[in-house]
Amino acid sequence: MPRFASIAVAALAFMAWHSASAAPSLDGFWTVKFERKPSGQALIDSLPKGAVLINDTGAGELAAGDFAGLKLKPAAIEQVKKYNYADELKRENTCVPPSVVFYMQAPFPMEIYQGRDLIVLKMEYFDMVRVVFLDGRAHPPESAPHSKSGFSTGRWDGDTLVVETSHIEPGTFMNNGFSHSARIKLSERFRLGPDGNTLWLTQVYEDPETFAGVAARYMAWTRKPGEFVFPYECDSSYGK
Amino acid sequence: MGARRARLDQSGVARLAVRAAAVLLALGATAGAVAHHSFAVHFVADKIVTVKGTVEEFTFHNPHGLLMLTAKDAGGVEQHWRIETNSPNILRRRGWSEDSIKPGDQVTVEGYPARDGSPSMRVYRVTFPDGRELVGQRPDPTVVPGQD
Repeated sequence: MPRFASIAVAALAFMAWHSASAAPSLDGFWTVKFERKPSGQALIDSLPKGAVLINDTGAGELAAGDFAGLKLKPAAIEQVKKYNYADELKRENTCVPPSVVFYMQAPFPMEIYQGRDLIVLKMEYFDMVRVVFLDGRAHPPESAPHSKSGFSTGRWDGDTLVVETSHIEPGTFMNNGFSHSARIKLSERFRLGPDGNTLWLTQVYEDPETFAGVAARYMAWTRKPGEFVFPYECDSSYGK
Repeated sequence: MGARRARLDQSGVARLAVRAAAVLLALGATAGAVAHHSFAVHFVADKIVTVKGTVEEFTFHNPHGLLMLTAKDAGGVEQHWRIETNSPNILRRRGWSEDSIKPGDQVTVEGYPARDGSPSMRVYRVTFPDGRELVGQRPDPTVVPGQD
């Protein structure tokens, strides 16, 4: 039995190593690809059935009261009713960063640094940084601190990087008065396009406290060697 | 004994209050999180207004550059415009800098008006008397810079 166990462990270790070594490289500087028609339709087609696709990525934005057809829970509707848009323009609120639920879709570039056990995404928007653990560790207990980037683990599913994120601090969902809760769960699939220099991402959100069903977004970037993200260094003096 | 019971009750209530606050925090059951302002909520995306005037001040920091402009309305009354750019990071890649616009410059600014009717807008384009142009937020982001 111990011999069988050690063989199994070795086999699993080999599979993990082989999976990581065969993984496509997402390294580099990525700038938002503004598309009239999604080049990553295949990834969109693999979204969960019934998922509401939020069409506000890149330069898109939804107006007040437009929640992309998502069915908000009563508490969320009340929250939106009480939301004061004028508060956004106050100096003290100018540099409140969004969470990973919103900042990945912003029209700003990012850098990706890919290792075997760890991937780091350095976002230009609000200088946010994401760490994705690929070493098989578990997510922390519910009581662990929440943050705008949350806690992310990832694995390779063939040529697709699958990332699960929990512990996300509440933040805006669509930048129009509707916020997600701290219980939101985020599932992402990153995949390179056939040219090797297009990156597609779908995000899938579940947050039973604020909306029914499943919501999703699609994003695309182009790899541009030799470029870097700029510091964002938000300056609150813009606020009134 | 009665005093001890009262102290115990108070500490028990305090513990409960702390736990309740922690649960509320964990659930995010607070009011909606304030966000950085949305263009779509605060500006009219499908309308362009044009203002010609003198630059009073120009700052170029994220999240938005700010151009303070003095102009006269149709009745000749002086107006002070607060005009914001989209993110300076995005504009730097299109050739903008802190020195692109200077106090005293005479400029024509086209942009998306504020929904609240105040003299403010988000910049689409700044044009100088010599014909030089700075392009800010383009009406169609799928069009490459310089071709919109």
